[in-house]
Amino acid sequence: MYDMTLTQEEQLMIQSVREFAETVIKPAAKKADETGEFPWDVINKGVELGLHALPVPEEHGGPGLSSVMTAVIAEEMSKACAGIGTTLGATGLSCYPVVIAGNEAQKKLFFDFIMGGKMGAFCLTEPNAGSDSGSVATTAVRDGDEYVLNGSKTFITNGGVASVYTVFATVDRAKGLKGLSAFIVERDRAGVAVGKEENKMGIRASNTTDVIFENVRIPADHLLGKEGDGFKIAMLTLDKSRPSVGAQAVGICQAALDACVVYVNERKQFGKPIAANQAIQFMLADMAIQTEAARWLVRRAAYLQDAGQPFSKEAAMAKTFAGDTAMKVTTDAVQIFGGYGYSRDYPIEKLMRDAKIMQIFEGTNQIQRVVIAGQLLR
Amino acid sequence: MKIIACYKWTLDEADIRVDEGTRAILKNRAQYRISPYDRNAIECGVQLVEAQGGEVAALTVGGPEVAASLKDVLSRGATRAVWVGQAETAALDAAGTALTLAAAVKRLGEYDLIVCGEGSSDNYAQQTGPRLAELLGIPVLTYASKIELEGNILRVERKLEEGIEVVEAALPALVTVLPDINEARIPGLKQIMAAGKKPTEQYAMADLTLTAEDIRPTAQQESLLGAVTDRKRVLLKGENAVKELVSILKAEGIC
Repeated sequence: MYDMTLTQEEQLMIQSVREFAETVIKPAAKKADETGEFPWDVINKGVELGLHALPVPEEHGGPGLSSVMTAVIAEEMSKACAGIGTTLGATGLSCYPVVIAGNEAQKKLFFDFIMGGKMGAFCLTEPNAGSDSGSVATTAVRDGDEYVLNGSKTFITNGGVASVYTVFATVDRAKGLKGLSAFIVERDRAGVAVGKEENKMGIRASNTTDVIFENVRIPADHLLGKEGDGFKIAMLTLDKSRPSVGAQAVGICQAALDACVVYVNERKQFGKPIAANQAIQFMLADMAIQTEAARWLVRRAAYLQDAGQPFSKEAAMAKTFAGDTAMKVTTDAVQIFGGYGYSRDYPIEKLMRDAKIMQIFEGTNQIQRVVIAGQLLR
Repeated sequence: MKIIACYKWTLDEADIRVDEGTRAILKNRAQYRISPYDRNAIECGVQLVEAQGGEVAALTVGGPEVAASLKDVLSRGATRAVWVGQAETAALDAAGTALTLAAAVKRLGEYDLIVCGEGSSDNYAQQTGPRLAELLGIPVLTYASKIELEGNILRVERKLEEGIEVVEAALPALVTVLPDINEARIPGLKQIMAAGKKPTEQYAMADLTLTAEDIRPTAQQESLLGAVTDRKRVLLKGENAVKELVSILKAEGIC
């Protein structure tokens, strides 16, 4: 049986997040989208509320929230702006490798940054290692009590705004996936540089950059787990974060649906609101069905994770379905808004641009299908 | 310093609907929340305590539904929460509320300042604060848009229709605040989690030696119906439209 009843504490948290989303995120979303400037004031307020640190355990000063709550919060934030939701969520993502594999000293090191109000970034992707994590070319060479990192990461969310990174590098390229290892790297280490910032189609409020490591020396105790644990840590991390990526997509769907319900009653053609047309009604009904279905795939995957049951396949299903649904629902929303939907003066086209990344990042929806099929056929 | 911040647990009026046929007030979709100006009152108390040290006791009176307010108010920075349990909140008028709060304040012991919202979001009668001050025999400063403390002296800017009046009073005193006074904080996740660990107390009417008779409203509400505006939907066309309009308005006694 699923008992997904929220406690009063959880309801109060959601109430706070909604208020933050409505009164702080939403008013800032348009400008951040148009300019691509990083909305530090909004992010700092979110940080004050602790919304960047959802997985940080209570004993390290964080809220240590469940996966279900993390998903609910991600949905609420992304309903207001998926770009800002991505920024806060990506710091949470950077925490997972430490939650999964960090020892006490490493947790203290990393979470002191996060609970001190700093941003984190998860550095896995490289120009030639996207879906294929085994091709990571960034190297970590042991030198006495240190590792020396060399290589370039790309498409790193929060790359330019983070104070601390979880970085994946290989200790032995010949070993492929088995050489991959995970490290904590502080931004202010000599040799760490932030490269070019992406000029993105959507989630433009978020910061996406290259991060370059050039002879970066880190203490050997910054290695998370053992040498060669990197691939396992990365996959566990992405499993854990998938429900909340799906939840972001659901937030975009809900924003589109809400906007459409208001618009179809206001917009009059042929002497009546367009809501009177069954063609419109059916579109709205389908959007609502798909949004709700996506939401419950996400919540179920999150629930399984919280319950300590296998959830990898369900998380991949949730992320895939929610991402694909966001693309479909927002495309329909643009259609319902007609010419106004295509205009940048209205907030609908932003939702469609924001939705697209949901099919791409944190494992493309094609890779998710590989994961799902792999589980079915094993 | 010791501050008492009073608050009311009210339905969010944005979700209250009126049935157009029966004019009945439909509250089934509305959720309770802390009356917005009272959030400013709590924030005012919390900011003073953050600057000067001390504690903020949040105080409310109401029926069983008020239990859910305690964690909420504690997440907003109050040190503890005190709830005077009532069989039914709606049975209280401003006089009964003030009487109950006054008895609870006396039971709470010494205090320096009481902060209330200027009015509640449901009735906005603006009576509870001044009545409470009168019952306690302390100065009341209403319409506060800015507040300063200098030793034992409370200086308040009162935002009035015609201008701003600056007044002073010695503590203990009661102030009723406007939303201009501050921006009430959004509780963070950690504050919400900490709220569950803060102390709460419940007083019964009997603890305050109040009887149902003491707080019985002097006026009884016979009914409460929503205002519905019916449109006549008369459309006038043609060159005589203006004349017709004037004659209709005359017939209605409007001009």
